[in-house]
Amino acid sequence: MQQSNSYTLIFTGIVTVILGFLLSIAATSLKEQQELNVAIDIKRNILRSLDFQESQDELWTTEIIQTLFDSNIVSFVIDETGKIVDGMNVEDIDTKSNSMLAPVYCKKREGKEIEGYAIPISGKGLWSTLYGYFALEADGMTVKGIKFYKHGETPGLGGEVDKEWFTQNFIGKRIVDEEGNFVGIQVVRGKVDESSKNAYHQVDGISGATMTSKGLNNFLMNDLQKYEPFFKRIRTNASI
Amino acid sequence: MAFLSKKSQTVLKDPLMNNNPITLQVLGICSALAVTVKVDTAVIMTLAVIFVLSMSNTLISLIRNFIPARVRIIIQLAVIASLVILCDQVLRAYMYDMSKQLSVFVGLIITNCIVMGRAEAFAMQNKPGQAFLDGVGNALGYGIILIAVSVFREILGSGTLYGFQVIPTAFYESGYVNNGLMVLSPGAFIILGLIIWIQRTVYDVEEK
Amino acid sequence: MLEHYLSLITKAIFVENILLAYFLGMCSFLAISNKVQTSIGLGMAVTFVLTITAPANWLIHNYFLKAGALTWLGLPNVDLSYLNFIVFIAVIAALVQLVEMIMDKFSPVLYHNLGIFLPLIAVNCSILGGSLFLVERDYNLMESTVFGFGSGLGWFLAIASMSAIRHRLRYSNVPPKLRGLGITMLLTGLLSMAFMAFSGIDL
Repeated sequence: MQQSNSYTLIFTGIVTVILGFLLSIAATSLKEQQELNVAIDIKRNILRSLDFQESQDELWTTEIIQTLFDSNIVSFVIDETGKIVDGMNVEDIDTKSNSMLAPVYCKKREGKEIEGYAIPISGKGLWSTLYGYFALEADGMTVKGIKFYKHGETPGLGGEVDKEWFTQNFIGKRIVDEEGNFVGIQVVRGKVDESSKNAYHQVDGISGATMTSKGLNNFLMNDLQKYEPFFKRIRTNASI
Repeated sequence: MAFLSKKSQTVLKDPLMNNNPITLQVLGICSALAVTVKVDTAVIMTLAVIFVLSMSNTLISLIRNFIPARVRIIIQLAVIASLVILCDQVLRAYMYDMSKQLSVFVGLIITNCIVMGRAEAFAMQNKPGQAFLDGVGNALGYGIILIAVSVFREILGSGTLYGFQVIPTAFYESGYVNNGLMVLSPGAFIILGLIIWIQRTVYDVEEK
Repeated sequence: MLEHYLSLITKAIFVENILLAYFLGMCSFLAISNKVQTSIGLGMAVTFVLTITAPANWLIHNYFLKAGALTWLGLPNVDLSYLNFIVFIAVIAALVQLVEMIMDKFSPVLYHNLGIFLPLIAVNCSILGGSLFLVERDYNLMESTVFGFGSGLGWFLAIASMSAIRHRLRYSNVPPKLRGLGITMLLTGLLSMAFMAFSGIDL
């Protein structure tokens, strides 16, 4: 059956219009929910890196995350010397131009002392850019937590970076040596040799994901160095 | 199953076992293996394929007499791609975590040979009702293999099943280690190869 | 800079081979890999198509579909990224058609060798997969091209080696039920294991 050109064109046109219309409706109506998901997911990750735990009987709903975040997290912007920039919100940072300014989220329950600082980290793994949060205790040197919320690494291999078993290893490690010099965190191949004198800043690697671990080491180092002036001030009790 | 005619039953059940799209028709393996490291991703992937395949079969069958022969492949692709986009959007909105894990593989359902293959081979010649059942049947046949592979890979590779620990911790204490190879791609190929072998032995199929 | 591209291409060919690590393009791989000559032809066609579709889809994604991509048209708030899949597949189908026609016109020899494979390629997962990966991984235009080319070569290498193995397999005594698909899967598993050795390369 061979139809005329005009029939073919009209038919194709109609199908395209119908499909396009349906898709636009679906995409537009779901967009708000999707953006909310992304925003909540970021807050959820900041909370998790600052060691808020989701309990079995009270799962984190959107509202709970929102309240937890609003009542427990204080955020501010620091400059390259590690000092707080007054009157600036983290949302105001233009990621493209002012690369020297950086956001810090700190855990501060009402009427209590600061309990930790979370900073965004990101960089290339094997394939993709990984995005996450890294948190230090109030002392400015002990790791409180690390969470990744976006990456395109191979599921089961590099993709394991966002799994509990891997991120758990970071907790309690130190980013400075005995003398207080900055050393950063290092993901090793295989298991960490606990008897080694470097074990205090080393973390078990993911088997089969050497390149992801390597990338992680690189960008974690970069990001920590960027924040080092700030954390150094915290460690030495200098003004921020 | 009494409410289905004999023919409908065959259409639905045939692809599950004795004419399975993956192991016997050699279709749709592309996107199948990458999501089988864990059972939960395999289950969601199966549901997505059931949706896309049954809907695309039904829709294409509904318009089969109007599709101009020259552009039929493009029309089929457009219908399938739209359904996949819909699926992806819904996943992003309501199952955000899952959609992050499946990443590009939801999109790759478009080029899954089963979907195109069934549209061309079945939906273009049959009534919508039959086409729908054929879609569900084939998607289930695909899903069975996907889930079978993922069950083996998750138990052997991670010691868990659907996220729950199934290998007792006592094993690990006495020196048992998870088989890392199962998490990697060769594990998927080898498990699928063995499943094909078993199934072809059971159903007595041989290739020249 | 050159080093960066070199490492990207090595990764795409060996370390994370699009077929052996991501399972993309399995259908045609399984169907074609029993003949060496046709495998090489198909491999070349895939490499060629991937090399042109990757940058083409990159341009489309960055100048039309991405959130804010239409700023040059004065529409900074439009986000058409939900149309990614359908547009990519259309671009691929159109480009394949175009290449086929150009080839037919200007290089009948090449057309004779690759032409028959081109229609097959539009629905090859590895082509669409390549385009989706470059969006997922935020590559720039040059990286996308290099990545497309590298993935194509990787696919080529995988299918060429597989067809060579299957060629030799004819003389071995495979259990009857394992013949064909079953043994090919097991062999692909071994091949992919062999390729994993490359993941130790320090780039």
